[in-house]
Amino acid sequence: MPVDTKRVRGPDESQSPLIFLPKSAQKVVPKEGREDGRQRGQTDVRPVFARCGLVSQAKGSAYIEAGNTKLMCSVYGPREIERKDETDMKSGRLFCDFRFAPFSCQKRGAWIQGSEEKDFSLALLESLRPGVCLHKYPRSQIEVNVMVLENDGSVLAHAVTCASLALADAGIEMYDLVLGCSLRQDGATYLIDPTFPEESGSCVADNAENQGSVTVALLPSLNQVSGLQSDGEMGEETLVDAVRACIEGCHKLYPVVQQALIKSVRRKAPPPEN
Amino acid sequence: MATVQVSEAEKVYIMHGVRDDLRVDGRGCEDYRHMEIETDVVSNTDGSAKVTLGHTAILVGIKAEIGKPRPMVADEGFLEFFVDCSANATPEFEGRGGDELGTELSNTLYKVFNNRNSIDLRTLCISPGEHCWVLYIDVLLLQCDGNLFDAISVAVKAALFNTRIPKVHISEDEEGGKEIELSDDPYDCMRLNVENVPCIVTLCKVGHRHVVDATLLEKACSEGGRGSLDPESIFEMTETGKRVGKALHAPLMEVLQKEESLGKKRQKVGFLG
Amino acid sequence: MAGLELLSDQGYRVDGRKPSELRKVQARMGVFAQADGSAYIEQGNTKALAVVYGPHEVRGSRSRTLHDRAVINCQYSMATFSTAERKRRPHGDRKSSEMSLHLKQTFEAAVLTQLYPRSQIDIYVKILQSDGGNYSACVNAATLAVIDAGIPMRDYVCACSAGFVEDTPLADLCHAEESGGGTSLALALLPRGGQIALLQMDARLHQDHLDTLIEAAMTACKGLSDVLDSVVRQHLQEVSVLTRDLGVCFSASPCISVRKPPALYLL
Repeated sequence: MPVDTKRVRGPDESQSPLIFLPKSAQKVVPKEGREDGRQRGQTDVRPVFARCGLVSQAKGSAYIEAGNTKLMCSVYGPREIERKDETDMKSGRLFCDFRFAPFSCQKRGAWIQGSEEKDFSLALLESLRPGVCLHKYPRSQIEVNVMVLENDGSVLAHAVTCASLALADAGIEMYDLVLGCSLRQDGATYLIDPTFPEESGSCVADNAENQGSVTVALLPSLNQVSGLQSDGEMGEETLVDAVRACIEGCHKLYPVVQQALIKSVRRKAPPPEN
Repeated sequence: MATVQVSEAEKVYIMHGVRDDLRVDGRGCEDYRHMEIETDVVSNTDGSAKVTLGHTAILVGIKAEIGKPRPMVADEGFLEFFVDCSANATPEFEGRGGDELGTELSNTLYKVFNNRNSIDLRTLCISPGEHCWVLYIDVLLLQCDGNLFDAISVAVKAALFNTRIPKVHISEDEEGGKEIELSDDPYDCMRLNVENVPCIVTLCKVGHRHVVDATLLEKACSEGGRGSLDPESIFEMTETGKRVGKALHAPLMEVLQKEESLGKKRQKVGFLG
Repeated sequence: MAGLELLSDQGYRVDGRKPSELRKVQARMGVFAQADGSAYIEQGNTKALAVVYGPHEVRGSRSRTLHDRAVINCQYSMATFSTAERKRRPHGDRKSSEMSLHLKQTFEAAVLTQLYPRSQIDIYVKILQSDGGNYSACVNAATLAVIDAGIPMRDYVCACSAGFVEDTPLADLCHAEESGGGTSLALALLPRGGQIALLQMDARLHQDHLDTLIEAAMTACKGLSDVLDSVVRQHLQEVSVLTRDLGVCFSASPCISVRKPPALYLL
């Protein structure tokens, strides 16, 4: 357990002063429209910046930025499986490790992996696995490490996109890219790719029906959904519409991700001068 | 959890059966296996239930303790889930072997049960910002034979139905100090409204159709429960899930009510039956 | 004695039993279908569940393999809701590890391990509700589960606790008596030969009283063994009615071996 003894640590039980703000001083998410100028009920995801190959020691890596959400991913492997008793002669194993940097959230986190991070790791693993040709890597393991640098909502969705970008950058054979998109359902309308305040939902109208969030992982060219998570309560119709909206959102990301990959390939194998 | 391996021929047999709405054990695609429910099986808990579904056996015990409300929601109590994947279920869970599955299950349970309409957490509040009831919901896996999620959710719902939280009285002395007094009468207690507590319905895509309450064998036929789905089948499956869930709720509540009405006359079976 | 009077002037205990009286024992074998053997026991309010897997190939590191006998692997755990105060961890704390070790030692003395060289027998015991005498409930449940799994033993292993209050030995302590601070003794016995498989005592006791205390515990164990025996016989009867042809042999030696016909697994 990496406990830094030199660091001056806070008391065991401490709270962020932000929660003691009076209700009036808290930022309220507007009931109509959205703070960053996007519209409710439309699939206008935040502009995304994506780039591959920033961790030189990893086999492949990627960095993605959507609004203020920033995360990076590095991929190691394929290499021989560490735990010999788990060796699978037919297919490789994928390991995912999802972490929030301690400074990434509003409340300072711990270095050790919490239960939320474990949950995200598992969701990430299950979303990525159908996209990777694991049978091409028998008896080996591929590790995917995601680190969230700043959490401003929709981290899981962007982690999926970022990880698939890093896997592609590492030259791991894949059936398709995996793209993620999430959505916050607020009554009859929805907020796609929500920011942290929109996601945590202290904002939205209380006592309304259909409050929840949906995250979808999509293999875009195969049109297969590899991961679907939905929290909260919503009607079946709403859920179906929400999933559709997320799929549309994923497709909007596709060209950006493709561009980033082309760029990274160009850099690794520059086209001949003449 | 007995590890199951399925041969190609077996796979084809099961898949063809599912296509014709006839599964290996004679069920249709939307039928559950035989389920047995008994509440109030562990007497030193505030609520408990034992559920068996096929060979899957789950024991849930709920203890209510007085704690401090979370600062974000000062007027609500909260639920804590713990899933103990004991070695009884399978030797693989020995030592720390079951921890991973345990965290996965408890995280899911938290997400499913901690919704606004499921249990009114405000009824668990004793005095805002100071004291509230914390419900520790401990799930014990005794035997795994597929479809853990559904069996656990039914067991949790039954245990919540059975839960009796003692009534408390807050008295204030002259200096403004508050004191909590527990009611002397053991029958003077609070019940929870579990009408809207959800049940999980797990669907498994086998071939071109989906089945409810898949056995380990059937699960092994659908890529071991991993893989991807096309959007249309997801929508179909949500629809089936909703329909089956509704059909599960009504008889479940009925059975719980019926058991309750037997009162003290009910012969406790537990593990002896 | 801490406040509570454990033995009344009339010679009755807190729960109304006489000093040598056992609590009500109810047990059932073959609770679960997937395990090789399983049993459930209630001794008063103490409830334990035992499951046996094996004998099978040694799992994990090969170095544990013994070439002349089977390895016995025990894990003792308590359900988080089993005690009045909620437990944080079901197993892995020092007390559970100690208990696992005691169980292992007990069953190494009783199971005919030399019949299964290079193999492993897993015994997992879970306390569902705890009201004193956890060790003895575990041993008794595990004995039934081992018999259910068809693993030969020298004899039943029966365990019982005993305490010593006001010059009177008390058999089968409940939680109130156990936590009273007096002497308590746990004893596991192979009743036919009168051999002791495990004896554990804490707190102080005058040497002169030790014999009477052990004697009381042994009598209680013998009483328990009759109960366990009737449970086994009843279980066999039920099974034989269901299967008709019966693969049970009570051999001439005190070794009990119950072979389940394969058809039983289908029940």
